[in-house]
Amino acid sequence: MSKASSAPVTGAKIRKIVTNSIVHVILAILAFIWVLPIFWVVLTSFRAEKGSYVTTFFPQSYTFNNYKKLFTDTTILNFPLMFKNTFVIAIFTCIISTIFVLSVSYCMSRMRFKMRKPFMNVAMILGLFPGFMSMVAVYYILKALNMSEGSMIPVALVVVFSAGTGIGFQVAKGFFDTIPKALDEAAIIDGATRWQTFTKVTVPLSKPIIVYTILTSFMAPWIDFLFAKVICRADAKYFTVSIGLWKMLEKEYIDNWYTSFAAGAVLVSIPIAILFLLTQKFYVEGVSGAVKG
Amino acid sequence: MKKKVLAVLLASAMVASLVGCGGKEEAPAEAGTEAEAEAPAETEPEAEAPAESEAEAPAEEEEEAITATITVWGPSEDQSEENGNWLPTMCEQFAAQHPNWDLTFEYGVCAEGDAKATVTQDVEGAADVYFYANDNITDLIAAGALSELGGKYLESVKATNSQTIVDSISVDGSVYGFPFTTNTWFMYYDKSVFSEDDIKSLDTMLEKGKVAFPLSNSWYIQAFYVGNGCTLFGDDQMDEAAGINFGGDNAVAATDYLVDLVANPNFINDQDGAGIAGLRDGSINAIFSGSWDAQSVKDALGDNFGAAQLPKVTIGGNECQMMAFAGSKAIGANPNCEYPQVAMALAEYLASAEAQQAHYDMRTVVPCNTELLANITGDPVVSAQNDTYDNTSITQPFVAAMGNYWSPAENMGKALVAGEVTHDNAAAKTEEMNTAMNTDVAQ
Repeated sequence: MSKASSAPVTGAKIRKIVTNSIVHVILAILAFIWVLPIFWVVLTSFRAEKGSYVTTFFPQSYTFNNYKKLFTDTTILNFPLMFKNTFVIAIFTCIISTIFVLSVSYCMSRMRFKMRKPFMNVAMILGLFPGFMSMVAVYYILKALNMSEGSMIPVALVVVFSAGTGIGFQVAKGFFDTIPKALDEAAIIDGATRWQTFTKVTVPLSKPIIVYTILTSFMAPWIDFLFAKVICRADAKYFTVSIGLWKMLEKEYIDNWYTSFAAGAVLVSIPIAILFLLTQKFYVEGVSGAVKG
Repeated sequence: MKKKVLAVLLASAMVASLVGCGGKEEAPAEAGTEAEAEAPAETEPEAEAPAESEAEAPAEEEEEAITATITVWGPSEDQSEENGNWLPTMCEQFAAQHPNWDLTFEYGVCAEGDAKATVTQDVEGAADVYFYANDNITDLIAAGALSELGGKYLESVKATNSQTIVDSISVDGSVYGFPFTTNTWFMYYDKSVFSEDDIKSLDTMLEKGKVAFPLSNSWYIQAFYVGNGCTLFGDDQMDEAAGINFGGDNAVAATDYLVDLVANPNFINDQDGAGIAGLRDGSINAIFSGSWDAQSVKDALGDNFGAAQLPKVTIGGNECQMMAFAGSKAIGANPNCEYPQVAMALAEYLASAEAQQAHYDMRTVVPCNTELLANITGDPVVSAQNDTYDNTSITQPFVAAMGNYWSPAENMGKALVAGEVTHDNAAAKTEEMNTAMNTDVAQ
């Protein structure tokens, strides 16, 4: 039997190898293209030559000073302070907006009420507008609430980054929809309340989407520039990293700060990377095994 | 970040519920109690400010006792220990000179060029005194963010500055700030490559060494066009109706010259910091930039550091003088502040000869006070910047129509560098640029 089938198997095998090689070559090229800019930023962050313009891809000499400069040369651009500000804002934003997103998604997925469909449509349409459209309006509202000055600025930023996130429920709702309703019903028959169903049944089964929500909401304050700029205005004490990084590229600073800018960009990715590594193992846990039989 | 619209809705619902119950008294009352400790200009009822200023203005000689918090926005270098803490030092000195005023200062970070964006976002909540670049002036005035100068302030500005500098912060005959430095670009060169005579002509320089010029930057490219007789908004750059005249034979000749310039192997387009990098490794011998690069250039060239006004060029047989755009940086007072007399006096002090001298000592900010300038000799950057300002520059127009200039000029520079403009199509491309510059995008 093995003899008879060996010829066609090798043919298929060869075809498989060829296909796989082609696929891998394409993937390798794409991976190279995608990773290249990041690789370049990392290289630049260790570059010893000053300035923004270089003639060689690889730095001629390497140094750790760009990182050191970020944390020691704080009189003009106080990076450590900005980093701390952003970190605190990110933690609060992350907690609040994760709760918002999960609550809204769960309601939309599990509850049935009159305004459900219209609400989802309105949310969808509102979501189509770019956020910066309301930038100045948001500022004036915050000002009316006395949140545009002094130590209220970080609070204002947390509010801005988290208050509206519930509207981005679609992805999480889609995920909750895939969890069989039978599980909820079983829990309710066993005497569980809505809250218990959510915390004891839905949440343990939804780790991937929770991790996804946590990651995206944690990232928002790190990458947002517009709102941070509009709300902080001239208050350097409350600048976030994105404002600092932007300032490093102004014509007065670019020559001295360009390599430190790259170092700053690398540093910004560290908290996000750590959070990802911590939560990564939940990412792969799916709903598999939830429903037995 | 995405879903701010809902944030607005939620927040406005909150506002509505807050305001709905308590009526309007709540917010002003709160602001009032806070005002003494916090920023005064913030939420103070508008009606109060003008009334007060009128009542107090005559009493100014005696300096009635005032307790105030004054917010000052300036560039972060002025507030850094490393650079001598210029702004806080000057403010404290100002407070010491006015014993009857009990002043507390709050500082914000806003570079001169950002004043337009940051101040106009919320004029009432902006600083009482702030630094701005003069090309922001039209927007700032339109937003009602600049107090007009009058009386002794106007006289002092006119007395201590040259007419061109006063013009740079005047609109329709009214002066809107206290200038403290000029703002332009000039030439840095390597003294070991070019002699004093060489730097008078760009053509000689191109024979002897490598020259980088930011041709694809519209703040620089006009040097050649204006040099060959093209004009922006009339001869005084104020006449909006005259429009931009970058057409005709003069302009075509300049474009032709630039086509040759780009083809010259000794010319490098200075882009993405290529010029300063070239100075560092010796592959470039002269660049065009401003005082913000002075330290980097000094580090790169060492003893061979040289700075000078712009050279001449020979365009179509005529010897022409390259012309930079020049402006100024000034300190303005916000008309919405609680104590305009304090803000005005502070703005004047921060731009006074004493403060300019300190500014120069601490940060080498080139002064513009005429007396001070006469005293500072032997600093190549100061003389280069001032020679440029006096001899080889035109006032950068700040009429609204100037907004149409930048993109077409930049496109021309980029097309030249890319080799898309040749001697054959130079006339057509120049005409295209001129038409675009005189077409109002908004219409």
